[in-house]
Amino acid sequence: MAQSMNDTTLMEMVRDGMVEKLAILFERHHVKLYNFFLRLSWNQGLSEDLVEEVFCRILKYRNTYRAESKFTTWLYQIARNTHIDHLRKVKEELPMEEQWVETESTDSNPEEEVAQGQDIQFIREALARLPLKKREILLLSRFQNLKYKEIAELMGCQIGTVKATVHRAIKDLSKIYIELSGGVSP
Amino acid sequence: MKCEHIKEFFPDFLVGDLKEDEMDMVRLHLAECEACRAEIEDLSAVWTKLGVLPEQKPGEGLRSRFYSMLEHEKRDLNRMEERKSFRLRAQNFFADLWPKQPALQAAVSFLFLAAGLTIGLLMKPGAAPSTEIAQLRREMQDMRQAWAVSLLEQESPSERLRGVSISSRMEKPDEQLLNALFDTLNNDPNINVRLSAVDALYLFHNNPEVKAGLIDSLSRQDSPLVQMELVDLLVSFRERRAADALKTLIQDEKIDPAVKDRAEQGIQKLSF
Repeated sequence: MAQSMNDTTLMEMVRDGMVEKLAILFERHHVKLYNFFLRLSWNQGLSEDLVEEVFCRILKYRNTYRAESKFTTWLYQIARNTHIDHLRKVKEELPMEEQWVETESTDSNPEEEVAQGQDIQFIREALARLPLKKREILLLSRFQNLKYKEIAELMGCQIGTVKATVHRAIKDLSKIYIELSGGVSP
Repeated sequence: MKCEHIKEFFPDFLVGDLKEDEMDMVRLHLAECEACRAEIEDLSAVWTKLGVLPEQKPGEGLRSRFYSMLEHEKRDLNRMEERKSFRLRAQNFFADLWPKQPALQAAVSFLFLAAGLTIGLLMKPGAAPSTEIAQLRREMQDMRQAWAVSLLEQESPSERLRGVSISSRMEKPDEQLLNALFDTLNNDPNINVRLSAVDALYLFHNNPEVKAGLIDSLSRQDSPLVQMELVDLLVSFRERRAADALKTLIQDEKIDPAVKDRAEQGIQKLSF
């Protein structure tokens, strides 16, 4: 019954004292959130810690949730702040190669597997070379399914800025990819 | 159309969020402009390429850490609630005895003085008539009601909660207090205050007007929690009017599925 409730209603219930409802929101969003952090940091242990910290902050600041704002917009606003706070704490980004584990490919063709593995490597490296803000905006729109308007709301900027950043980020990514792959276009 | 203008649509083009006329405009331009065509092809290729990054699953440790954090929070919350309710009960016991408004304070002081004088008179041989005591009691009751109404109008939710709590202890609330309670139930911005108003009004549901007001309130609520509380209460009335209100509620398309379930169960109970 509760499973069919939307995120906003559930978060309102959490805010009003039914904290156990946060479990449903966790189950719905933690994998996507984990991958957001993973693509920002390329560090599995850190990404898990950051997901935990985000849900801890949701509990702590649940009284500040306002239903006018979509739950995922609020969630990724907290996620972004959590990540920035982490970076401030360690003063520098962690090396991207740390703890990265390739996922198993379902493709049985070894040649294609190698090619795809290389692709993943190039895209990862290219992403890691983008400045943080560009990377965040690109990930939020490409993987977290947030609309440009929602990204603008959570970043506190104009929608035009978000669109222009996405445009520039992809162009930069393309250039870096070509550079890394030795002249091959994406 | 200039290339610069068309390029502004590219980010929306990538996420498939262009309106039909915008899409036509972009297509028309792309058919004529090779440079823009090459650019959007390149952007689209990178956008698609990003899809090779696999979605990974976090370790199970994360889930167990989350659930233990949640359990911890629930325990803390329960402990805090217990402590708070004990403190509140103790505080309320004393605080209820003394109003916050200076005018009411003066009035209560006057009442105490009057009560003292009356007791003094009663202690005298050849006691005063009992109508004076009854009148005094009525005055005290009126004073308490006025105080509850004024608390219900305060800005602070805890003051308003106190107003509801005092109202619920009235033997027979007057019309003004009932109106103030219904106003709280239907319009208070705080969900906890609204929920406690439901409980307080339920105590007076033998009054037909209160019962009708509670049935009427169901259609005015937007919070699923208050709606569910009212649904349970209406079911306990075992009345046709209540069943009609529940039927109207489930026809509302915007209603929360959990509330709809509860209302449907309620209708079934009422049809037995």
